[in-house]
Amino acid sequence: MLGKQFTLRGALSALAVTAGLSAAFGAGAARADGMLFWSTQARPVEEAQAVREQVLAGFGAPVDFQPQDNGPFFTRIQAELESGKGTIAVLGGLHADFSTLVPNMIDLDDVAGTLGDAHISQTFTGLSKLGTDHYKYIPWMQASYVMAANKKALQYLPKGADINALTYDQLIEWAKAMKDATGSPKFGLPAGPKGLLHRFFQGYAYPSFTGSVVTNFRSPEAVAMWDKLKELWAVAQPASTNYGFMQEPLLTGEVWVAWEHTSRLQDAFNKMPDDFVAFPAPAGPQGRGFMPVLTGLAVLKTAPDAAESKKLISYLMKPESQVAMLKATGFFPVTDAKLPDDMPASMRISGAAIQAQSGAKDAVASLLPQGLGELGGRFNKVYTDSFQRIVLAGQPVKDVLDDEAKVLKSIMDEAKAPCWAPDKPSEGTCPVN
Amino acid sequence: MSAVTETEAAAFVPADARRAGRMLNAAIIILLCVWVLLPIYLVLVNALSDPQTVTGWPKHFVPTFDLGSLSFFISYAGVLKALGNSVVVAVLTMVLSLGFGAPAGYALARFDFPGKGVFRLLVLMTRAFPLPLLALPLAVMFIRTGLDDSLFGLALVHTTLALPFSVLITASLFSGIPFELEEAAWTLGCTRLQAVRKVVLPLALPGIAASGVFAFVTSWNEVFAAAVLTIRNRTLTAFLIQSLDVSPLPLKFAGAAVLVLPALIFLFAVRKYLFSLWGIANR
Repeated sequence: MLGKQFTLRGALSALAVTAGLSAAFGAGAARADGMLFWSTQARPVEEAQAVREQVLAGFGAPVDFQPQDNGPFFTRIQAELESGKGTIAVLGGLHADFSTLVPNMIDLDDVAGTLGDAHISQTFTGLSKLGTDHYKYIPWMQASYVMAANKKALQYLPKGADINALTYDQLIEWAKAMKDATGSPKFGLPAGPKGLLHRFFQGYAYPSFTGSVVTNFRSPEAVAMWDKLKELWAVAQPASTNYGFMQEPLLTGEVWVAWEHTSRLQDAFNKMPDDFVAFPAPAGPQGRGFMPVLTGLAVLKTAPDAAESKKLISYLMKPESQVAMLKATGFFPVTDAKLPDDMPASMRISGAAIQAQSGAKDAVASLLPQGLGELGGRFNKVYTDSFQRIVLAGQPVKDVLDDEAKVLKSIMDEAKAPCWAPDKPSEGTCPVN
Repeated sequence: MSAVTETEAAAFVPADARRAGRMLNAAIIILLCVWVLLPIYLVLVNALSDPQTVTGWPKHFVPTFDLGSLSFFISYAGVLKALGNSVVVAVLTMVLSLGFGAPAGYALARFDFPGKGVFRLLVLMTRAFPLPLLALPLAVMFIRTGLDDSLFGLALVHTTLALPFSVLITASLFSGIPFELEEAAWTLGCTRLQAVRKVVLPLALPGIAASGVFAFVTSWNEVFAAAVLTIRNRTLTAFLIQSLDVSPLPLKFAGAAVLVLPALIFLFAVRKYLFSLWGIANR
């Protein structure tokens, strides 16, 4: 009893000492060196590590790269803006991430001016002004969503089908052939909670079938599209509703053919480069819908040293840095940086598919939703809800589309967002017919 | 004594039923052990296997002892510092929540004061607001006061999370110790404080330690506040969890092992105090 008392007392006093020391240590260690690079991009640990070691190490000054989930990302930004004291030097994010921050970002026209010979595509420079006359962010890297297939699946391709010019009908036929031959469905979609399936509807299915994302949401063409998607789902892997990153079921062989973001395929391509091919998304009656993803770099008004931040952005836009970023994250340069010959397998495989996709004669480019601000989440939900109700729950297509069109219209009205490609430019709010 | 009851029982209960009862008992114990141990075992097996085995099929129950995934984390910039930060914040949280919680618990157990019931309820109210909601105003205040990005500031937030439980746990601990013991100490010449220190505390210490463990774990597992309120001094969870959920499977397992192991070791070290949380005497 006595002995125990002593050990406990000893333990407690040891704790007190530790706490005292740590409090001192904690206070002393604050404000370490390095500019803070706050990003929603390159979150997977391997990518973050590669960005630190292969991209930022060459900058000369220490940079503290911190990839974040959206919640902490925006909460921290808001806190710094409200308190007026900032530690974040450079923001890295998606085009959509920046749309809410327009009034709080400094103009980057001078940085854009120094990039003269980097040749950023016109579409991207237009986007980066976010509706103002000034560069609000500098286009950084781009990616897209493509199809990936295990080579074992190729023997079941429908007769006469060109893998680089598939149609949705051929895809359904293909998936059915694989299911019949192997006894289990081999086509998969990222329909899990972490999956990006809403982009499949917004950037691929809707543009391919209706040539629109918002305006023709409940058109007869859209009804026909959902009927086709029901056919596709009937021959798709039902476990799709759990998939987040398609590289995982592709690697285990559970799925042979999938649609996915290129950076969520790279693990599969890099680990088994000889087993996979990538190819463009299928085409519908209105063409081959696809969605380019654009990331950018921006500086907040509260940045501790704007000049230093701009220097970092200029450094990241150099061709060498862009190639290093490509290797680190699987996102492709927005500039015409020359790609080296010794690229990792995933870059080689996806790069060719992205080129074939955006270069296809019937390509219909569809941009990420714009001008929705914080309504983006609800906008996405319209599409995933429609999917769940029509395809998973089997509710009547027309009724569901009428319901969801009302929700969509209220979101567009609230955001007062004009149409974006592929919908035709609108005067004022983008209409839902 | 027990021999007598056993023979008595044997007279009334058929041997079959007794065996069935024992087997049911054993089955439940095994089920519970598997429930707890299997996930931990799978995490460790996969953390120690090479990436092909982890993503491959069929799954293996014996690790291939490939340290590739784990060593990635050891060399991952900042993991060790984050681990240190996590320990410091968790220990600070533990000390603070005991320092404030135990006296409050004692007051709840021993004194009658107006508003005692309301106080009991209000203490729990701090857990009614989700952290993502509180994080923004907290972060603004922390930046203004200079507490931002300090381990002490984060420990304060974690203390508010852990405090309700340490107050309520210690309150029930103290009310379980007969007041007569304290009174006896007074009659033998102790002051009120001495009586608490020499009589009550030694009896309550295992339980207090257990509520300290609870505070430690609360702090260790907290992500959101840690991610928003610390920048350079990240804790391990803030540093890793957000990145892990979008990382390849082998790294998820290795990361989970890195996150779970220190807490597991800590819990194992203090396990005997933990039992007193459930009222198992430990003297």
